[in-house]
Amino acid sequence: MNQTPIDGNVIDRCKRGDVRAFRELYNAYAAAMYNICLRMTGNVSDAEDTLQEAFIQVHRNIGKLEREASVTAWIKRIVVNHCLNNLRKKKVYFEEVEEVEVAEEAGIDEDSFTWTVSAVKSAIHGLPQGYRTVLNLYLFEDYSHREIADMMGITESTVKTQYMRAKEKVRQIVKQQNLIR
Amino acid sequence: MPENFESFIQQHRDAFEEPGPSPRVWDALERELEGGRKGRIVSLMGRNWFKAAVIAVLLVNAAVLFYIAKHKQQQQDLAVVIPEMQDAKVYYSNRINEKLELINAYPASELGLDSAARQELQLRNDTYKTLENELKNNPGNQRIRGAMIRYYQLKLELLDKILEELQEKHATPSSHTKKQYEAEI
Repeated sequence: MNQTPIDGNVIDRCKRGDVRAFRELYNAYAAAMYNICLRMTGNVSDAEDTLQEAFIQVHRNIGKLEREASVTAWIKRIVVNHCLNNLRKKKVYFEEVEEVEVAEEAGIDEDSFTWTVSAVKSAIHGLPQGYRTVLNLYLFEDYSHREIADMMGITESTVKTQYMRAKEKVRQIVKQQNLIR
Repeated sequence: MPENFESFIQQHRDAFEEPGPSPRVWDALERELEGGRKGRIVSLMGRNWFKAAVIAVLLVNAAVLFYIAKHKQQQQDLAVVIPEMQDAKVYYSNRINEKLELINAYPASELGLDSAARQELQLRNDTYKTLENELKNNPGNQRIRGAMIRYYQLKLELLDKILEELQEKHATPSSHTKKQYEAEI
């Protein structure tokens, strides 16, 4: 996650209500947090709305941020929670699934097709919302299965199963895209 | 060289990033912050602060009255009906009265409030009495309890704001009362 490092006193100034300092904070984190929102929501409009809501919460709660806490992790958690809440509002349910071993599909030889960024992006975008959320949180946001389970309110084994299924689905989609070309 | 899915993502991580959000996100955010920002409210009040104070008082009352129905009157002692609310009442009443005394120490010309507005600043105004009666009649109603506490808090915030404005204007309390407070300190 790339963001411009912020000066040490920016947070203190934000806590004192300095809007210019808050803009510095926003500028430092906006791009990285926007990418989280975009991956989680799947479209620009929802991503921007979610980003705005999340930063309003950051502004409201910045007084509670302790100096030694990681600003990045704190803001990221607020953003991710907003994304998850918005998905729930849209009636996206993160359902429990039975823990089953998900075998990689026989015959998909990764040497036989080419991974490209656009193909992977497109494949992830085409995943069912639950799979996509788990995959994004694990692969791109570096949360552990345990952390994802806590945030989504499902079991860790469900997270693992959904992740395996999501990964397998991406492989299938990318392979199909290779065949079409 | 063969790549699996996860290692491909790690190796091309930056290529998955999009440019940042459009400028309209910050614009909307800034508008939202301006709307609720303390500094903005203070600057508005600085220009015509006594009107803002009166409006704030009316808003406090309107917000509180929104939650209650104005009916039923019984004369029971709040302390008997809801002992735990009595503690909150004592705590907030003391703090509110302290601030009211400080505000009342300023001459009317400095304060810039008419008698009706000053009346509203008092703790036991109509809104308070209505709430208190409602609470006595419905001691178990959490919404009324919450409204009562919120009323106290809003009142305190308003008084703080008025005091802050008076200090920023470098207004001075009337000499008689000032001496009285100095003696108490």
